[in-house]
Amino acid sequence: MDAASLYKSLDEPDRADHLWRYTPWKRVHPSGDLNDIPIAASPKLTLSCLDDSVALVGISVEEGVVGAEVLPESDEVTASFIRAAAKESIYALRVENNFIANSPIILDIDTGDSNCAIHLTLDIGRNCEFELITQISGAAPWTGFLRTGRIGDGSILNDVVIGHTDSGILLRVDSIAIGRDAQVKAGTVSSGSERTKADLRYKMGETGGHLNVLGSILSAKDMHLDHHIEIHHDAPETFSRLDWHSACGGKSRTVGTGMLRVAKGARGADAGQLFHNLLLSEKAEADSIPELEVSEHDVVGCGHGTANGPVDEDQMFYLESRGFDTGEAKDALIAAFLNSTLVEMGSDALHNWLAEHLQDELEDLKS
Amino acid sequence: MAAKEAREAVGEYKAGWHDPENATIRFDFGLSEQVVRDISALKNEPDWMTEIRVKAFHHFENRPMPTWGNMSMLEEIDFDSICYYLRSSDATEKDWEDVPENIRDTFDKLGIPEAEQKWLSGVTAQYESEAVYHSIREDLEQQGVIFLDMDSGLKEYPELVKKWFCSVVPYQDNKFSALNTAVWSGGSFIYVPKGVHVEMPVQAYFRINAKNMGQFERTLIIADEGSSIHYVEGCTAPTYSTDSLHSAVVELIALPGAHIRYSTVQNWSANVYNLVTKRGIAHENAKIEWVDGNIGSKLTMKYPAVILKGEGSHAEVISVAYSGKGQHQDAGAKIHHLASNTTSKILSKSISKDGGRGSYRGMVSVSPKAENCKLNVVCDALILDDGSRSDTYPTMEVANPSARCEHEASVSKVSDEQLFYLMSRGHSEEEALAMIVNGFFEPFTRELPMEYAVELNKLMALEMEGSIG
Repeated sequence: MDAASLYKSLDEPDRADHLWRYTPWKRVHPSGDLNDIPIAASPKLTLSCLDDSVALVGISVEEGVVGAEVLPESDEVTASFIRAAAKESIYALRVENNFIANSPIILDIDTGDSNCAIHLTLDIGRNCEFELITQISGAAPWTGFLRTGRIGDGSILNDVVIGHTDSGILLRVDSIAIGRDAQVKAGTVSSGSERTKADLRYKMGETGGHLNVLGSILSAKDMHLDHHIEIHHDAPETFSRLDWHSACGGKSRTVGTGMLRVAKGARGADAGQLFHNLLLSEKAEADSIPELEVSEHDVVGCGHGTANGPVDEDQMFYLESRGFDTGEAKDALIAAFLNSTLVEMGSDALHNWLAEHLQDELEDLKS
Repeated sequence: MAAKEAREAVGEYKAGWHDPENATIRFDFGLSEQVVRDISALKNEPDWMTEIRVKAFHHFENRPMPTWGNMSMLEEIDFDSICYYLRSSDATEKDWEDVPENIRDTFDKLGIPEAEQKWLSGVTAQYESEAVYHSIREDLEQQGVIFLDMDSGLKEYPELVKKWFCSVVPYQDNKFSALNTAVWSGGSFIYVPKGVHVEMPVQAYFRINAKNMGQFERTLIIADEGSSIHYVEGCTAPTYSTDSLHSAVVELIALPGAHIRYSTVQNWSANVYNLVTKRGIAHENAKIEWVDGNIGSKLTMKYPAVILKGEGSHAEVISVAYSGKGQHQDAGAKIHHLASNTTSKILSKSISKDGGRGSYRGMVSVSPKAENCKLNVVCDALILDDGSRSDTYPTMEVANPSARCEHEASVSKVSDEQLFYLMSRGHSEEEALAMIVNGFFEPFTRELPMEYAVELNKLMALEMEGSIG
């Protein structure tokens, strides 16, 4: 069955499902008519290295290559919809075995100014070691971004996606398998779109996989940013941590829903998730649903936590007593809050690049 | 507590026997508007109650089953094979000797009269659909405390019941609250006047005896300003091969400065569906506590809730759940902070064993106008063996920036170090495991009256028997 037929055969998602509780499908569909599947325009993709002097050998973007299938753990509605909308816009990021880059690789996706969709396959070989920044920018009213694929055995990857669009809706789906003994940091920096619905799913299907999922979410004005993160521990001796920081200003709303699922047989699994929300204005709202399903008793541990609160008064007092004015102290604490996950996403070079690109958004949070 | 000692104390599921059924009135299986009207007519209820029952029945019929939770177990419920009303005694007696002998024997075995003499302010015993025995201490009666079965409450205080009935849990709340409102029978009605403190707990004991029985008690507790009460309920049923349904609704109203504690030790047999709606409203500076233990049943879906409506009010939910073979304990808590300076605390503990499944499902919310709220949620789960499962589904919605909200949960196995420590001091592995489990549940048991805590520890030790090797 092709993607469009699959999408049309599915029921409208039920809002009793936490995935759809706060952002119903209609709100992130490009037209609101759920039967409509627009053929969206292709974005412009550019692959470069942060260090201009480094030649890109062993890594490439190929167009029109049918990539990896969506994992069965992923949501069929969003994945099939983007696949159908992106049937003219299929790319694969191919990385050869043993590829190593000392400077972050940047994949720019410029959406243009009309509805845009892309299906990108990550085909990352064995024992690679590099950092990848995927930046989505442009002025498309609706962007669908589907990533499928596998991180090869033994690879070490810092993979950061930054949503940096001017406005509009971003519908993002990740459906990624983590290979044996692979070490992955999957960072999300969300700041640009008016409305984001992201459904990020990772399958730890092979022994020894190690995954850190990190989020640094800045919502201001009327933004509505909804992220769902699922990590499936299907193999023994797998490790995952999720650390998600959201700062909400203006009349914005952030939603973080997480699911850690430990399957029977995943002995020695070690899984944890944390959601932190910083509320900065009277009309901002933050919602968290960190879920756990554990079907294996022989685990190292599985846990989750959430914490919501305003800027800490003691910390404010400390900074003010050392000469900061109230505004400066608050800005410093907000930046530190967001930075605590940003700094974990990769190298200093990657972190500096992110910090530089987020200055404008940090200014917006004050409004 | 060693498993052997526990077995001697409580035997196999000790409440699993059943008496011969001696019904004075038994309705046919199945539910219709006529059944609802017949129940109401039999009880000679006022018209407004009949009307609300009928509306609730239609709502129940039209409302689909929940699309969350253990849907496969829920779909196994055959509403047409359940008896919705069965009366085994013609009256609610005030003297124990007047209760029919077979029923008296049942409650004697469960230790109810003994407990009443020792440490209770009052007792209601419900057998199938109706209360069969009811008593309250004279001094409390003189202070104006009303403690009746719900049917008598409706007869004697119709205006009070009309004012509060369905005010906390409307029949439209969910499918099973609609079912309860349509066919409710029995339960407790309590009113505590201003400033009166009921020092010793009052107790209700619910027993299902017949096969394929539905028990739908309705409890309404109103604590007037500055008063306090502790209500304790226990539940048992015989073990049959076919399923029974228990679907209660409990409404608590804590008026300004009042304190209600509602403790439950649910030990239904493993063929009972336990689908219960419990909710309280706390007014200014009031406090509501749910202390909730779920040991038995086939499927429990129960999420005690508190609406913190008044400034300075406080809510606590302490719950434990044990899920054994074929059981799913889907329990949790809901707390809604609607007013400023409100605080709440949820502590949930669960153990899964022999393929059982324990789920915590919770919701806490802070409304935009509720300033300076504080809430804390802690969920701990132990999975004792291969094939058992534990889930946590918490929801936190915060719409006020001054709120401080914390949630933490963990799922783990029994620590090898703890087992080793106890075994190195002479305990067998089984004893060590039982001690660890009782320690795990201790934050719950210490909140129970002593007799219940001892009983619960024995039950848990018994459940742990055979868990090693």
